[in-house]
Amino acid sequence: MSSESSTQAFADATRAKGDALIEVSGVDKYFSDFQALKDININVGKQEVVVVIGPSGSGKSTLIRCINRLEKHDRGTIVVDGIELSEDIRNIQEVRRETGMVFQQFNLFPHLTVIENITLAPREVRRLPKREAESLAKEMLERVKIPEQAHKYPGQLSGGQQQRVAIARSLAMKPKVMLFDEPTSALDPEMIKEVLDVMVELAEGGMTMIVVTHEMGFARAVADRVVFMSDGQIVEVGTPEHFFTDPREDRTKLFLSQIL
Amino acid sequence: MTAVETRPAPVRSTTPVEWVRERLFPNVASGIVTVLLLPVLLYAGYRAVLFVAVNGRWEVVTRNLTLFMQGTFPRDEQWRIVAQIMCMAFALGVGASTAASGAADRAREAGLPVARQRPLEVVRRFWPLIAFVLVLLYFASTAAPWLVVLGALALFLLGTLARFLTASFRNVGWLLMALSVIAGFQVVSGTTGRSWVAAAVVVVIVVWASVRLEGLDRLPRLAAKVGLSVLAAAIVFGVYTLIPLSGVGWDRWSGLHLTLWVSALAIILSFPLGLLLALARRSTLPALRMLSTGYIELIRGVPLITLLFMGQYILGFMLPAGSNPSSITRAIAAITLFTAAYVAEIVRGGLQSLPYGQTEAAQALGLPPAKSMRLIILPQALRAVIPAMVGQFISLFKDTSLLYILAINEFLGVRSLVHAQPDFRSVAHAETLVFVAFGYWAFAYAMSRESQRLERRLRVGI
Amino acid sequence: MWRDARVLRVVGQVIAVVVVFLLLRWLFANLVENSRRTGISLDFGFLNRPTQFQIPNHDEFDPRSPVWQMVLVGIKNTLLASVFGIILAAILGLVVGIARLSKNWLAAKLAATYVEFFRNIPPLVIIVFFAFAVFLYGPLPNLRESIEIGFPGTDHNVLVLSLEQWGMPSLADAGNLAAFGLVLAVGVVIAVLVWRWRTRVNDQTGAPHHRVLWALGVLAVLLLVGYVVLGEPFRITWPTLGENRRRLVDGFAINAGFISVAGALGLYTASHVAEIVRGSILAISTGQSEAANALALTGFQRNRFVILPQALRIALPPLINQCLNLVKNTSLAAAVGYSEITNLTQASIGNGRPAVPSIVILMGVYLSFSLIISFMLNVVNRRMQLAT
Repeated sequence: MSSESSTQAFADATRAKGDALIEVSGVDKYFSDFQALKDININVGKQEVVVVIGPSGSGKSTLIRCINRLEKHDRGTIVVDGIELSEDIRNIQEVRRETGMVFQQFNLFPHLTVIENITLAPREVRRLPKREAESLAKEMLERVKIPEQAHKYPGQLSGGQQQRVAIARSLAMKPKVMLFDEPTSALDPEMIKEVLDVMVELAEGGMTMIVVTHEMGFARAVADRVVFMSDGQIVEVGTPEHFFTDPREDRTKLFLSQIL
Repeated sequence: MTAVETRPAPVRSTTPVEWVRERLFPNVASGIVTVLLLPVLLYAGYRAVLFVAVNGRWEVVTRNLTLFMQGTFPRDEQWRIVAQIMCMAFALGVGASTAASGAADRAREAGLPVARQRPLEVVRRFWPLIAFVLVLLYFASTAAPWLVVLGALALFLLGTLARFLTASFRNVGWLLMALSVIAGFQVVSGTTGRSWVAAAVVVVIVVWASVRLEGLDRLPRLAAKVGLSVLAAAIVFGVYTLIPLSGVGWDRWSGLHLTLWVSALAIILSFPLGLLLALARRSTLPALRMLSTGYIELIRGVPLITLLFMGQYILGFMLPAGSNPSSITRAIAAITLFTAAYVAEIVRGGLQSLPYGQTEAAQALGLPPAKSMRLIILPQALRAVIPAMVGQFISLFKDTSLLYILAINEFLGVRSLVHAQPDFRSVAHAETLVFVAFGYWAFAYAMSRESQRLERRLRVGI
Repeated sequence: MWRDARVLRVVGQVIAVVVVFLLLRWLFANLVENSRRTGISLDFGFLNRPTQFQIPNHDEFDPRSPVWQMVLVGIKNTLLASVFGIILAAILGLVVGIARLSKNWLAAKLAATYVEFFRNIPPLVIIVFFAFAVFLYGPLPNLRESIEIGFPGTDHNVLVLSLEQWGMPSLADAGNLAAFGLVLAVGVVIAVLVWRWRTRVNDQTGAPHHRVLWALGVLAVLLLVGYVVLGEPFRITWPTLGENRRRLVDGFAINAGFISVAGALGLYTASHVAEIVRGSILAISTGQSEAANALALTGFQRNRFVILPQALRIALPPLINQCLNLVKNTSLAAAVGYSEITNLTQASIGNGRPAVPSIVILMGVYLSFSLIISFMLNVVNRRMQLAT
């Protein structure tokens, strides 16, 4: 590939797809003296799927946890759908309503049934009446392909089923962007596929997604951009084709050689 | 390859001789232990049987059974206590069956096996209490106690009809139980004075918990709930002022009756206080945290008797001149404040044991902190510490015996009245103490078995 | 600005502090006002005035001594009952706890019955049982007709049992008790050195060290030598009824109140200790035992090196907590005639001393015990942390 077209590809890659939904500028984050995020600048556009990869300790989880304020950034600005994240509680709550998060440990509420898990937030936060919330929940369960588990407790489900319920729970809030923090890392291998399939369908349906994962197959299939982070910094950003065939930075090459 | 057919397992039966060999003489050291223990045990058993069946002066209990049960409660008002027992039996029946049918419904929907309770299992489950009731009946010299027991049983069974309530009417069951308990309390203490306050509080709590009002916005919903609560409280107040019933205030209660009520009241009152203290101790506001930590560590460092002394001697000085709460009020206040500190520590342990991911998931869904505490964190944390809580309440029940030191005649203290009689001044002390110990033991052991059972079920279940 | 998270925090704090402050101020204002009105003092001056009542069973205490000396007597008695109670509870609790895990059906059932019985009755009932059903109105004779259990073949009594006091043998100084104490101290140091020497021998050569036998043996020999060289530095006094069988002379006399409190609390707390012991051993996962067995360790070695060290780590915090509970439970002696600090405070208030400062002192005493024990607990916890 000639250097000009590769630079062009790179420039295209760093520009967001639609209007920017999430704008992160100059963000630093410290845990005591340890700097977990160093000068992060990235925009995520509407309907864009961004996959973040990197070694453990690189700050990928910290970054997306800052986006819904589960962690507080120390410097710089984060703007989600026009709302800037600050100490203002109302802003924080609004951002959390518009973002959905799927955790590595699922974090389903074990004392509630599946359908109660899903209808909890719509009823309490969006004030949906019970019947509407339940039909919404059933719709979400259809989307993740486990409608028959509605009245079971999380403890009765397999890991893959639990994670799909977690996805349905976040989707029920009709978020503008979905954040995934290593959603398949805690799953047995035979269950990873069913969760990834749901995520692929979501992406193809036009959901804006930021996914932290090690599943390169997923990145190659649906990512619009791949971001490589290491030691708290964004090292390289690119399209999947560019990224996996011709990465520029040495650190990226080293990392990819270890996992591919 | 041909499949191997499954054959029945070899049968291993243990003959008595084998059992003795395995269990009593598995090795030399164990054998020596058996040889030493067996004669001692047999002798002790022989002396115990002699004491219980032959030598014991049990007429001290037979003649004073009423004193032990209800102390110096006025004899012509005894019907109140009987009525109270009936109300409580009914409430127990309603409460137990409402809870059980609710759990059964949820289990059925989730496809889990539904536990069935057969009468024989219930007897095995509560045998200490049943034994105590049988002992009481044995010591009874009239037919009245038999009638009371039978009546209570009948009302309990009547209450269990609540299991036929469908799910949407389950709140009626809880309301019935609450009303029964209030009625049971009022029938003894009367509706005069400020007793309507407690009843109003209970009714308001039930109203808040059961009224749902879907589809309304935040402010109108709040206004409607407040309005309904005020209306309910007003109704209660009206009922109480329109139907004045005299009664026997709790400063005149004694015996086992007083022990049970002091325990129940202290348990109920200490729970919300302890919960608040635990939340304050975990709060991020340093002032709240220091205040509650200071209180908890102070209370946990001193014995209960010092707080009871404080209640008796100092409380009078801390309130405006003229107000003079009765000994029992002071005692209940002291025990409540004491237990709240321990409850706070237990709840704090439960909160700490909850994985932080639960809080994060609730936050990520946009649930405000108050809601996430109420719907997600507290239900799980409290469920996890039920065994420790029950243990604390058993302790509380046993600690009511300290009122003896304050010359209040609860179940242990009523002995001084028994032995003040010329017939029993210096005899039969062992018998009365054994009886009192048996009474405490029956209740405490039954509670502890329930808690162990709950622990086993919670670990296996969800 | 009013939605800012930080502002709300500060405001919330301020409100909470103000509310509590106002409440406390109201309570204390009432206290001061009522005290002034009734003329009862709030200061601690009463500590220097004479006690004016006799402490039962303490003939050497002069009622004219200042109150603070009475307080010291109370504290001493609390400590005495606590120490003996803890020793009894520890030994009995350990035995019962291990018995409950034993394969012997009889021992296990007996231990289980013991625990389920004593755990579920109030400690006060046990204390009252001892005080009233064993002692005061019980089967024991009074002092004149005490049961004397003698040493077979001699004139000496090993045990004297009566309604008011029990007599036991004791040590008395026959000239050189202090010197013998020195011998004991030196002997212990030498025994420790022998222990370490044998351990080193075992490390270097692998020969069995038998260090317990060596150390105890050396100690015993040294004590024997010291006893002979010092020419009978102490003698044993046997409890006898002197003064026309009206008093216990010689020997060590403990009175009924002390036995009631220390014995009853020992029995009661032992049931909790047994449960802690049992629970901590059961908490060690079976995988540990399996690994030990796979390594061909004997049962004794498995317990000594794998199970018990881990069980001890788990058991120590709740055990220390039980010690604290026992100390606090000695306050129940207020119901019977044992003059520990709570009993004396109640008597003193009954004799007209000001209640508020007396109770403050009482609570202060227990708080000090509790702080000391909590401190010990923290030290133990930190030392016992497994490295992560």
